[in-house]
Amino acid sequence: MKLLIVEDEKALSDNIRAYLSRGDVVCETAFNFEEAQDKLLSFDYDIVLLDIMLPDGNGLNLLRLLKRLQPETGVLIISAKNALDDKVEGLELGADDYLTKPFHLPELNARLNAIFRRRKFKGHKVLEFGEITVNTDTHDVLVHDAPLVLTLKEYELLLFFITNKNRVLTKQAIAEHLWGDNVDLLDSFDFVYQHIKNLRKKIAAEGGEDYIKTIYGLGYKFSAD
Amino acid sequence: MSLITKTTLFYLLVALLVFGAGGIVTFYLVQKEVQKETDFALWDNLNDITAEIEEGVPLAFLKRGKVDITDLGPLPRDTFLTFSDTLAPHPYLQGQMEPFRKITAVREVGGRYYQVSITDVFIETDDIYDVVVDIMLRLFIILSVAMLFFSFLITGWLFRPFKKTLDRIRSFNLKDHKALELPQTSTKEFRQLNAFVAQMAYKARRDYLAVKEFSENASHEMQTPLAIARGKLELLLETPSLTDEQLGLVQSAQQNINKLSKLGNSLLLLTRIDNKEFADNREPVDFSRITQNCLDNFAELASLKGLALKSHIEPNVKLLVDPTLADILVANLVKNAIRHNISGGWVEVNLEEERLQVRNTGSAPRVSSEQLFERFQKSHQNNNGSLGLGLAIVKKITEANNFQVSHQYSDGVHEVTIAFHVAV
Repeated sequence: MKLLIVEDEKALSDNIRAYLSRGDVVCETAFNFEEAQDKLLSFDYDIVLLDIMLPDGNGLNLLRLLKRLQPETGVLIISAKNALDDKVEGLELGADDYLTKPFHLPELNARLNAIFRRRKFKGHKVLEFGEITVNTDTHDVLVHDAPLVLTLKEYELLLFFITNKNRVLTKQAIAEHLWGDNVDLLDSFDFVYQHIKNLRKKIAAEGGEDYIKTIYGLGYKFSAD
Repeated sequence: MSLITKTTLFYLLVALLVFGAGGIVTFYLVQKEVQKETDFALWDNLNDITAEIEEGVPLAFLKRGKVDITDLGPLPRDTFLTFSDTLAPHPYLQGQMEPFRKITAVREVGGRYYQVSITDVFIETDDIYDVVVDIMLRLFIILSVAMLFFSFLITGWLFRPFKKTLDRIRSFNLKDHKALELPQTSTKEFRQLNAFVAQMAYKARRDYLAVKEFSENASHEMQTPLAIARGKLELLLETPSLTDEQLGLVQSAQQNINKLSKLGNSLLLLTRIDNKEFADNREPVDFSRITQNCLDNFAELASLKGLALKSHIEPNVKLLVDPTLADILVANLVKNAIRHNISGGWVEVNLEEERLQVRNTGSAPRVSSEQLFERFQKSHQNNNGSLGLGLAIVKKITEANNFQVSHQYSDGVHEVTIAFHVAV
């Protein structure tokens, strides 16, 4: 996946690049409107990560330009503004998704992968991890070629794990991915454990290996090690 | 009551007292003067009679109706002169007594002594009284009419710059991008007032803009470093050699960064409502749909928490309100009801034409209903991720839209009611 990160804050841009580069993402960066425009005119990208508030211009204008030059490129907008109108305008202009700062990096990774799958493979993308295959188009999950019946949350959980394989996922990041920002209404994240327990049980029943490693008190890691 | 009306009434009250006292003084002064003049006339008359006796006019000739002369003979005695008041029958009105003034004197004329007494009609006290009251009353009426006329004149003309100033202040809005302009006036006091008000408005506007700018920048400027710090911690989590204890520290730091970020957003929202930034975006909003959407969004979280979510929503409840604020209002109430609940409890949301009511089970609040809506008033001991701003935001939104919010607690049930149509 080839990604252009348009973000004026260098430290944040570095974070994103450092995090995503550990996976199979090739990252380029642009720190202002000018630079982003140059890169969009010169190169093709799979996805552009776009901060709307740039020091020398409105990111929404970059979005307009991009949609004229490369309509197939996916766009994920990031902004500190959680204003509804910005979000609506961005999506109307053809952005694929919208993420409000601050965000979890695994969440960013999952959203980028979802856009990538939709854009590049028109949804027909099969993810594989060991004996587990996930068809993101039909939502079918196979373990050793045997179908696995999962609830929607269990499916989303598994997908989140596979797109963030070998990464540490805090219970909070998982909970926010599955239930949204209001998850802090709940007194504990015990229900994350419940879903993970069920998922493990279902995979084990089909003879699958337990890839979900528990990191005590913190969260989980989906890994073959 | 306007200042001028008050002044006029007060002035007339004082005038009434002054005219009363003036009436009394006038009455006594006139009475005294009348008596003095009467006495003088009597005395003059006495001297004439004395002179006539001396000239040898016969006593019988001198004795008229009002004059009585007694020849006391040659024996020497004290001569004196006294005045006295007396009553005598009225000359024309039968049987009615009338006050008279009487002079009595003993005088020596040509070696003989005579006692002379003269009476004269005296102007009656009640006559003087009537006249004085009459004069005072007329003067007072003239003065009242003049005062009323004058007060109208003052209101209409003298106070016109003041009224203009008041109008300008009333229509002055900090959000408008122009300074407060006040009318020119030749009245010194109004000039001072205008200068003072203009300076205050200038300072208020300057402070307002500074605060507004600060709070607007604060969000973006604060969220970015927070996002960076959060990202760095996430990168740190990926380090393979971290011990469980170190991972716990990182996670705790992350949680507090999340909280700080949410706090910044909530405070910014409060400031933006305060700045009336949503006031211009009002549109007819289907409150029924918003409430239903909100309940759908929270249904899963409520069931995860083991809470029963009941609702009765009347369709087509339309309100003129900013749609974003309407969302936040309902979401905050429902969130609050879910957060401060008990295990096995319930949340009930009722929407009617006139009001939105959110009821939920929960423990007794530690603070009063009014304090519940203040910022950072934590009503419960357990700090379950609450920022303490949810109900403050609810209160702020209701104030901005002229809704009225109230809270009641009885028998383990919290009840927050928002009345939409409040008579202003």
